Amino acid sequence: MIQIDSTDIKKQKKLALTWAITFLILFPVLITLGLLMRLRQGEVTEAAPSEFFSYMTLHGLGMAGVLFSFAFAALWYLNSTRYVKLNVKFGWFLYIIIAIGVVGLLIGTLIGKFGPGWYMLYPLPFKGTFWPLWATKLSVISLIILGVGWLVGILHILYALAKEYGGITNLLGWQYLKKDNSNIREIPSMVLITTISLIPGVFALIIGAAMLIMYLLQSFEPSLAFDPLMMKNMVMFFGHTLVNITMYCAVGWVYALLPEFTHREWKVNKAVVYSWNATFFFILFAYLHHLYMDFVQPTSLQYLGQIISYSSAIPATGITMFGVIAQVYHAKMKWSIIPLMFLFGMAGWAIGGFAAVVDSTIALNSSLHNTLWVPAHFHTYMLMGVVLFILGFLYYLFSGNNKEEKDSFGNAGFWIFVLGSYGFLLMFYLGGLNSVPRRYSNYSGIEIDHVRETGVHLAQCAALFVGVLLIGLILMYLSLICRLVQQKATNKKND
Amino acid sequence: MSNFTILLSLQKIAGLLSLAGALIVVAVVVFLLISATKEEDKTTAKEKVYKLRGRYLWGIIVMAIVLLFISFKSLPYSHSKEKAAEEVTVVGYQWLWKMDKGVYNAKLEDFGGKNEIELPVNKSIKFIVTSTDVNHNFAIYNSAGVLVTQTQAMPQHKNILQYTFKEKGEYQILCLEYCGTAHDFMVGIIHIN
Ligand code: HEM
Ligand SMILES: [Cu+2]
Repeated sequence: MIQIDSTDIKKQKKLALTWAITFLILFPVLITLGLLMRLRQGEVTEAAPSEFFSYMTLHGLGMAGVLFSFAFAALWYLNSTRYVKLNVKFGWFLYIIIAIGVVGLLIGTLIGKFGPGWYMLYPLPFKGTFWPLWATKLSVISLIILGVGWLVGILHILYALAKEYGGITNLLGWQYLKKDNSNIREIPSMVLITTISLIPGVFALIIGAAMLIMYLLQSFEPSLAFDPLMMKNMVMFFGHTLVNITMYCAVGWVYALLPEFTHREWKVNKAVVYSWNATFFFILFAYLHHLYMDFVQPTSLQYLGQIISYSSAIPATGITMFGVIAQVYHAKMKWSIIPLMFLFGMAGWAIGGFAAVVDSTIALNSSLHNTLWVPAHFHTYMLMGVVLFILGFLYYLFSGNNKEEKDSFGNAGFWIFVLGSYGFLLMFYLGGLNSVPRRYSNYSGIEIDHVRETGVHLAQCAALFVGVLLIGLILMYLSLICRLVQQKATNKKND
Repeated sequence: MSNFTILLSLQKIAGLLSLAGALIVVAVVVFLLISATKEEDKTTAKEKVYKLRGRYLWGIIVMAIVLLFISFKSLPYSHSKEKAAEEVTVVGYQWLWKMDKGVYNAKLEDFGGKNEIELPVNKSIKFIVTSTDVNHNFAIYNSAGVLVTQTQAMPQHKNILQYTFKEKGEYQILCLEYCGTAHDFMVGIIHIN
């Protein structure tokens, strides 16, 4: 075990707080874009399609990017203050690199109106666009900058962990599988999960970078052409994997932090190792379920997609969620806001995950693919899963000894936020069940009365619920600010 | 599964399954909210949970295998279907659909189809779907407004979708892959008689 001295911890905390504040600023801005989309679809406001679709692109890329960046930053902080030494200057360097990428994307989408959607399916950015070519070039370059930043950051963490724990196989927990495992190097569960999440991230970012470079080449040499099926496999491998590991990174800090509230250890054992190594494998192949409706994709891969998607539910529920149950059942604990958020985050992950498994059934995908069912399920586990895990972590980061204190503002905010969010999500689900398409800037072109009218009404209701969730979010922000101010005050007193 | 779909659309099956799943999750959350405040020895509590987990794991593995087998019986991929009575070429353009009977192998720019077509009821129809520019998605809605089947329209590739229309009337086509400005206005009609 290495000792991490307190000045290092202080420096890392400053970096983490900067990430936290950046997240807290960007998150509501991106929600506002979502609200504007729902208002446009509900015919409450008017916006040109170019505006809608560039907002949609910024919202999707922005949310996926901000959530992944923050999940990465949170793991960086927790690993560097508990288990390994990470270079804090390099951490700041990554922050700046990622900030540059984000600014580039903001210019590309808001000024350039870059709008091919967050997975910018090839060759859409090059054909019949409503945005200029420079916006494509700038956005693609910005994404490459982001990808390189994430990649070197991930490699830094993995390298430091491998050095500390005696190699990559130890990080994967294989030492626990030996016959005689009495004398092995133990690893904290968060380290195992960090590894399992970040290695697929390396693969995803390499494939993603290759794909983006192909985009860049074509943007300078329009005569180039690539195979759209191969490009779709690449972009889905990249995008799906990145979003998928955002969830797993967040689960990593729940394994580390929840035990502080239940006072029960949550250690690595054989079952945990098997389950997370299986997850590693599932992360890499689950993306195949995005290509079910591409009938030219080899059918064996379609079968594989469904088998892997179903399988991934087994370790997630059987080990991780049962792990949560074993943590809290009869633990004589207080449901203060942090464990409450972790519990509800697990619930959101389970509910959204269930709807995802339904959609990953090929026979049902024919009826659900690219309807509002798709944003329904992934918003469930992002908003009611990852975002709750992040908020729980932020409460943890911003608190001192008052972690378990009663917080009526925070609690009220939490319940309003959860209520508003599930209302907002329900409208997406109902849209999917009524065959309302996703990614329509407005529904007026649909000549099927039932679908058009349902789409508009659900969008209006959804916009109302977004209002509710924003009120909850404001209350939570107030309580977070109070905690931060308190923390600063006690720190001053102690100095 | 086809017996079910007479009673219930696939969307309703999906909705009911997901609702059941969500209710189970809510029940577990409520149970945990209440039970967590009570006290029990760590080891006995853990043993109880692990015993339950053992049963759960067996249950979910068996269920996953059974559901995989059942759902693999009805795949949309054409080679598992009977011989087609009619072949239709479908081409997506930014931003319109063109359909015509027969197999078309010449230049797509010269393809002469229209966004309306008449087809027979209760006959297996083979749609050969492609695109000239970007990805689109050829999605068929029945007269009640239910999405009944779909396939992607990908440039340089042909997706074969086989479908038998069970009712007479108008089926609407929408584009279900975002393809640019007028993606939401890319419509077509299939008249079944
Ligand atoms: C909290 C409030 C949120 C609101 C109001 C909101 C709203 C929306 C809306 C209206 C759409 C377009 C749906 C359509 O296809 O018609 C959308 C798409 C999307 N959202 Fe959200 N969203 C929210 C949170 C999130 C979060 C937390 C994430 C995290 C990853 C996220 C990621 C995405 C992505 C990736 C898309 C797809 C964009 C695309 O199709 O290119 N959203 N959202
Ligand atoms: Cu289209």
